Amino acid sequence: MIKILPHTINFAASAYPEKEAFIYGKESLTYFELNKKTNKLASYLISHGVQKGDRVGVYLFRSIETPIAIYGIMKAGAVFVPIDPELPIARINFILNDCNINYVVTNPNLRKKHPKIIELKNPLKGFIGADLESDFNSITWPALFNTSIEKYSDVSLNEDDLAYIMYTSGSTGFPKGIMHTHKSGLSYARLSVNLFDIDENDRLASHAALHFDISTLGYLAGPLAKATTIIISEAHTKMASSLAALIEQEKITIWYSVPLAIIQLLQSNALNDKNLDSLRLVLFGGEVFANKYLSQIMNLCPNTHFYNIYGPAEVNQCTSYKVNTPPTNETIVPIGTVWEETEYLILDDKGNLNIDGDYGELAIHSSTMMKGYWNNQTLTNKSTYVAIEGEKEKKYFKTGDLVKKNESGDLVFLGRNDRQVKIRGYRIEIDEIEAALLKHKYIIEAAVVVLHKNVNEKEIMAAIILSKEENISLKEIKAHCYDYLPSYAVPESIEFMPDFPRTGSGKIDRIKIMNIYTNA
Amino acid sequence: MNKAIINYITDELLNETLEDNLEVDDDLLGGGILDSMGMMKLILFIEKEFGVKVPPEDMIIENFMTVSHITTYLEKKIKLD
Repeated sequence: MIKILPHTINFAASAYPEKEAFIYGKESLTYFELNKKTNKLASYLISHGVQKGDRVGVYLFRSIETPIAIYGIMKAGAVFVPIDPELPIARINFILNDCNINYVVTNPNLRKKHPKIIELKNPLKGFIGADLESDFNSITWPALFNTSIEKYSDVSLNEDDLAYIMYTSGSTGFPKGIMHTHKSGLSYARLSVNLFDIDENDRLASHAALHFDISTLGYLAGPLAKATTIIISEAHTKMASSLAALIEQEKITIWYSVPLAIIQLLQSNALNDKNLDSLRLVLFGGEVFANKYLSQIMNLCPNTHFYNIYGPAEVNQCTSYKVNTPPTNETIVPIGTVWEETEYLILDDKGNLNIDGDYGELAIHSSTMMKGYWNNQTLTNKSTYVAIEGEKEKKYFKTGDLVKKNESGDLVFLGRNDRQVKIRGYRIEIDEIEAALLKHKYIIEAAVVVLHKNVNEKEIMAAIILSKEENISLKEIKAHCYDYLPSYAVPESIEFMPDFPRTGSGKIDRIKIMNIYTNA
Repeated sequence: MNKAIINYITDELLNETLEDNLEVDDDLLGGGILDSMGMMKLILFIEKEFGVKVPPEDMIIENFMTVSHITTYLEKKIKLD
């Protein structure tokens, strides 16, 4: 029985030892090799005092070492903590301290960062995978793989033990750590394998970085299905034409990413001459996919199935919607219905159960939900809705996302709780304005923010990216807005940007946009 | 050509200052130097500065991995024009 995540590797290694588990560029790992290498890492960590429940950092760019790191750490009974390699050193140091991390798994290509981290005040005792010049405790990957295992045996874990902690930006300015157990991680993997019929013939593209929850499909569900996961390199994520070629060459069957990654592929025109016959599934999530691009990619891949995936990192995935026909300008693509082992409630604006309406904040109870926020019981409580069912209490995670139920019973995403603003008494949905802007054929992307001009004065501002060759005036854009929006929702100012600042996971960084124009 | 590209990356695109100077053979795409937004800006700069057009099909890793890859690509391109 597979009860904890690393069991998937043991199983796959005995069933398909020679099958490729992960591929990164020209490098690859069979399940046999992955099993052996993760045992070596686990044994090294244990021999250096890492105990069950200890946190170990994974400080890596996308690489073939990533799956070795996460499964090696879990086999040692420890909890893996992805650290975004693009984070500023101070932020990395916050995570090391917040989670009390003694060991970090890394790669030599971050060698410029390693001494800077060692210098700071934190609990770090050693690196695995670094080639340091100093005498700080570390071991290189070749040296680790050359060790012979003497005393490694499986650490006894149960499904409620922690498997990983994912940090995400918090509204307080400090990142918050989302704790997932072997149960929640494995449930996510199992439900994904069931829903999407993933099997050993599938080739999953892993586009997202490890610190972004979308990556769990490739890293966690891939091995459960004994499939092959292709880890897309940093370089490929930046060069669309190379990425399009990779999708064809590697015969990717399942793609999962934020819409932006697909939009970049479309804009490069690089997919047009590619054979995409093997691509059976495209999953997208994390942000709303503008209808014009979704229909473009659907028309390009007429035999591929498309799913809109929804779920905050706190619950992994929780709803999905199969998009059957390319959407038109007017279509609202729902986030769909919850999958197995998942229930939901809709709460009103006071956080109570919304009895008479089908509109409000979505709350989720699922086998895939987190245990809570690391070291932050207050925040965990704040984000929990407790329902009394008979004598029992049932905990729901409050997503902060507004939804409504449509006529077919599907949930429709309306926006973030905090993306609804009141200006001059009018309730305005930021997402509605963005959607209206995107209906214009020359607007590639739009980000709407509220600028606080004075204490009492708020103003709606739209930052937009125009397609490269086009020139349209502010007046035309405003006229377009008046066609689709009530007048109080038409942005007062519009700014053209060559591109948007984005967060580590590729989402538009609206706070940064707000800051740019607040200070301007 | 190398110098102009290096200066643009160093002055305009880096989020934090590098410890050492950027070298022509440093991997720009592997991580830590350019993000995808930086890459777009760099291509716009190159088009303006050297009067070339970089079509989408040229936006491949082999042409943009390092500063020296970029100049090799540009020299070929300028000769053809």
